[in-house]
Amino acid sequence: MIDQAPNRILQVADESPATVPVQVQGTVVKSKWLHSLLTFLVVFGPGLIVMVADNDAGAVSTYSQAGAQYGTHLLWVVLLLLPVTYFIQEMVVRLGIATGQGHAAMIYQRFGKWWGLFSLVDLELVNFLTLVTEFAAIDLALNKMGVNPLVGVPLAAVALILITLSGSYRRWERTVVFLCLLDLAWFYIAFAMKPALGPALRNAFVPSIPQSGITSDLTFLVIAVVGTTVAPWQLFFQQSCIADKKLRFSDVRWARLDTFVGACITVTVAGCMMLAGNASHMHGFNFTDPAQMAVDIGTFAGPVMRTLILMMMINAAVLGTTAISLSSAWAYGEVRGWPHSLQLPFSKAKGFYIVYTLCVAAAAGLVLIPRAPLQLIILGVQVLAGVMLPSAIIFLQLLLNDKELLGSYANKPWNNFVNWTIIIVLFGLSLVLAAQVAAPNLFPTGH
Amino acid sequence: MATMLLNKVGAQQMADEHRWVVIHPLDDAPEQKVDMSALGPMEMTTSVRISLLSLRAYLIVMLLLVFYRVFCQAGFFGLHAS
Repeated sequence: MIDQAPNRILQVADESPATVPVQVQGTVVKSKWLHSLLTFLVVFGPGLIVMVADNDAGAVSTYSQAGAQYGTHLLWVVLLLLPVTYFIQEMVVRLGIATGQGHAAMIYQRFGKWWGLFSLVDLELVNFLTLVTEFAAIDLALNKMGVNPLVGVPLAAVALILITLSGSYRRWERTVVFLCLLDLAWFYIAFAMKPALGPALRNAFVPSIPQSGITSDLTFLVIAVVGTTVAPWQLFFQQSCIADKKLRFSDVRWARLDTFVGACITVTVAGCMMLAGNASHMHGFNFTDPAQMAVDIGTFAGPVMRTLILMMMINAAVLGTTAISLSSAWAYGEVRGWPHSLQLPFSKAKGFYIVYTLCVAAAAGLVLIPRAPLQLIILGVQVLAGVMLPSAIIFLQLLLNDKELLGSYANKPWNNFVNWTIIIVLFGLSLVLAAQVAAPNLFPTGH
Repeated sequence: MATMLLNKVGAQQMADEHRWVVIHPLDDAPEQKVDMSALGPMEMTTSVRISLLSLRAYLIVMLLLVFYRVFCQAGFFGLHAS
């Protein structure tokens, strides 16, 4: 049990010979089990946030479209992505804890300026385009809720800027973890749709191809599902987040558990989104976008369900925006050598906060421009993310095999076997995507 | 609330006495990490270097291709791609 005063708050002086003693504050407990639980809770955060934020507005759209077009047939793809996303992010955990630095800084220092610049430009470009899609989703959802986007979108942008400006990593993390937990409402939404659980579970564990066969639409959708579940910004975000939180070597196993819990939540929530899409299709509605899907579902499940889905859509976009903007700001700050920590007040990390603010404000502003080509931007984002992902993971794989850098934290042979398998599959999908972009009539359309 | 000062050995002794200390990473003393500046750029074999160059070329071609397709769809070149 937690020890009562006088020993509850403890200050420990770390007396290294070359420096003055550093005072640290901790909680004394009398149970090893409680010690493990509390240690997990203080480490908990980056893994959950990166995974849940990955179910952003684009993901809501992709998963619900998959459910609307193919029912529960693609649930196995999502389940297959659980180990994929976990293994990739677990490498980031080791890299972040061992070096205490972000991913962009690491690429600059170990691969040189040219590659560093190339990776940074790729990241910033795709991140910005993704941010536009997040605000486009907020705009759509607000419209369906009867809120004027000219008021709602700037308000959302200001709120997103304010949650990072508090100068406290812990305050930002608590706020975002709260938003992540709100995402659990998707479980309620899915079960309120009264899905046929038997066939859904069978489709989740037994791979199957929809009756229409392998068509252009199916290929694109599978690639979109993969691209939305494993995205390049996640590598940069989680490593920088771990560095900012100053996770220690002793935290590795808890950070892994945090990442695993996050991966399980994100995959099951993705399945719930597919079930919602499937329900709207079963009631005879054609999928156009997730906001319209919410309206359609509202006609048979009631206005509360309609509002709940729209709110969850906004929540997904808000989570995606804060994580993606931060990955951009951290990466840029690391490369420029600027102070770049959420622990710092605005006055001490101006460049970092300005990049974050510019990302959010520019994306929100672009969405409000009348007749902006949002659909083209969304298409471009999906394709670019799919193309970039394998190369981003190759850098990660090379860094994780750098024994000079990581020592005992470097990849073991079985890690390499798993990761190269993932890279080969992702490259295969990327090449299919490339072929489709180059020759759009390669696969039958299925119509 | 009373506080007390301990060095790391003292904290370790508390664990030995069946009491454990939970310290938030942001409240803990800074930890010695890998010194990146001492390492410099990674040494790469020729095959890795060639692979990375191929990857760079692939990415540039794909970026151009994607933008071309998107601009075609937008009708920038006076035609709509199928």
